Amino acid sequence: MKEKALIKSAKAGNFEAFNDLVAGHTDRIYRLALKITGNTDDSEDIVQNTFLKAIDKIDQFREDASFGTWVYAIALNEIRRCLSHRNSFKVKSIDEYLPNSHSDSTIELFDWGDPHKYMKQREIREIIDSSLENMSEKYSIPFILRYMEQLSIKEIAETLDLSEAAVKSRILRTRLALREKLSKIFRERKYEKM
Amino acid sequence: MKKCDQYIQGIADYIDGEADAALCAELEAHLKGCQNCRIMVDTLRQTVVLCRDGKREKLPEKIQAKLKDKLKEKWQKKFNK
Repeated sequence: MKEKALIKSAKAGNFEAFNDLVAGHTDRIYRLALKITGNTDDSEDIVQNTFLKAIDKIDQFREDASFGTWVYAIALNEIRRCLSHRNSFKVKSIDEYLPNSHSDSTIELFDWGDPHKYMKQREIREIIDSSLENMSEKYSIPFILRYMEQLSIKEIAETLDLSEAAVKSRILRTRLALREKLSKIFRERKYEKM
Repeated sequence: MKKCDQYIQGIADYIDGEADAALCAELEAHLKGCQNCRIMVDTLRQTVVLCRDGKREKLPEKIQAKLKDKLKEKWQKKFNK
């Protein structure tokens, strides 16, 4: 059954239709929560609370909207609620990662070549995941939605209630921050090996 | 003449295939003479590739089953079924 028909049926009280809608989004929401919180128990709770809230609010859901965008917005509130209970959550300023102007011709950027010369993919992913966990969710969420969950800029803007320009700007800053972090580590590895 | 920093958003659009033909031509002309921007293009592209490579986590099956039970219980209360 197509999404619109499933939504109509769910709003009429058909649980199996609702469950089919849920099934298409549980893994995506779980991954998003895991990337941001870094904790499997918290992420499982976030998935559960998201869909329990979706049941509460199903009558308010507009049938012309996307179910995915709607549940993402609920999930993001649950993620923020989870993070707000954490006293130890460290948020680094994005500026800590940003490079100095690369237009200064006296600064030569580090050319990675093949990054797997310096470390295995598993280690690289650990660095990326921990950087995203430590970053403000204002920056990490749009980046994860765009490049890891492959949502369009328009869908992210709708989910986060931001302009498309703001979404693009946040994604770029996160991308630059991760690039800078990886560059620093690869450069260190290169000189350790020499 | 534009400074390299002013090309940054354009470089990201270019890598993601979202730059229009005029911007592509302008960037490609700039990249010919700018080593740092060529490195920026390559490393920003690789950053996304490295983020995508690896395991895609899934909600554990046990939790999926538990979730369905919880949702069904809540659903029955809401719709009195």
